[in-house]
Amino acid sequence: MANDLRIDVFDPAAPCEPELYESRANVLKRAFAAGGAIVAGGVLVAGLPRSAASAPSPAQDAEILNLVLLLEHMEADFFAEASVRAKLTGELLEFAEIVRGQERAHVAFLRDALGRKARKRPSFDFGEATQNPTAFSAAAVALQDLMVTAYNGQAANLTKGALEAAAKIVSVEARHAGWIRAITEKNPAPEPTDSPRTAAQVTAAVNKTRFLKSD
Amino acid sequence: MPIEPISDLTLDQLDRDGAIREALDGVSSRAGFLGKAFVGSAALLGTLAAPRRAGAASPSDNAILNFALTLEYLQAAFYTETQRLGAIGAELARVPRQLGGVERAHVAALQDVLGRAAVKRPRFDFKGTTEDQVEFLRTAVAFEDLGAAAYKGQATRVDSPALLAAAVAIHSVEARHAAWMRYLAGFTPAGRAFDEGKPEFEVRRIVASTRFIVARPRTTRRRRPRFTG
Repeated sequence: MANDLRIDVFDPAAPCEPELYESRANVLKRAFAAGGAIVAGGVLVAGLPRSAASAPSPAQDAEILNLVLLLEHMEADFFAEASVRAKLTGELLEFAEIVRGQERAHVAFLRDALGRKARKRPSFDFGEATQNPTAFSAAAVALQDLMVTAYNGQAANLTKGALEAAAKIVSVEARHAGWIRAITEKNPAPEPTDSPRTAAQVTAAVNKTRFLKSD
Repeated sequence: MPIEPISDLTLDQLDRDGAIREALDGVSSRAGFLGKAFVGSAALLGTLAAPRRAGAASPSDNAILNFALTLEYLQAAFYTETQRLGAIGAELARVPRQLGGVERAHVAALQDVLGRAAVKRPRFDFKGTTEDQVEFLRTAVAFEDLGAAAYKGQATRVDSPALLAAAVAIHSVEARHAAWMRYLAGFTPAGRAFDEGKPEFEVRRIVASTRFIVARPRTTRRRRPRFTG
């Protein structure tokens, strides 16, 4: 449930997610340093109340969909802000504008699916990441890769109905990831699989961005 | 950039207006693309074998895995042949090398989990699409869009959670490939906010329409194969 997601002040002892492979780790570090350098203090999402590893159930669906809703909000706001502020041109601008609309559609879709259980709208401070094309590109790659691994990590935890809905979104996130990587001359699909991240790893990655201002 | 409806895309619908040919002119300017072709091994593919170790996968899961294996055979053979023929230009040459490596890894993982239940590799005739840049790219776009839609169509039908986790991890890689091939071809990599899956019969119908599969392996050969050299 949305109200089970606690808001904590930053805990320096919080575990970092184990990085799946070095190239992605470096991208994440660079991207998230860009945002973190500006934001002095933010809020952190504390993660799912349980490990989301029990048998699929509607209640667990709501927890998981609220977690990915947080990510979709983050993306929608990120691309909305970047497309007007980051001085993007050409392919990057086209990417940001198309993706902005699609992330908005994902937010609306998830909010609709969750109904009254949908989390409150969070707010974000993206710092430098939405201020120039270089920082934007690095953050966009990291965010899109994160989205894919977040959805993949929850597939087996969802009921069939929720899985069917999530599956329609995850491949679009993967397309976004491949697209921004192609534009920025990174390997669009560096691994044979997109290894899943657990909910705890996802929330740790979100916290590491320091993008979340209120939740 | 033309927005092609992803889920309705078949080979016939691609490049009617020569958009790919035009786009290819711009590809060579993307120097440094894919700086290093790196195909790491993913531990996750190993988890495909977990259900086998724990006991046989369900008959239904085996059927799904064999369906996936057929598509991966098709993709792997396509890129491998393209790479071997070496007719695709300098910049695009990275594509069959990279994608061939990934699709062969998918084949190997699926064969591993299926063991003796794995379908045999069919024989293919790619009808020149592995030797021409335009034909290669339009076929790659269609294959990758189809691969993503096919995996998605099976997601809710998989019984084993471990197999599901592995299958979705492949599914999103197919979608990354689709976006990449579309980017190279000058199509919008993500034309819609939501991707639809395709049921198996529809995927098989589209594959059959390509006539790339020239013969299914038979234990008893009734007549001479038509496409042997």
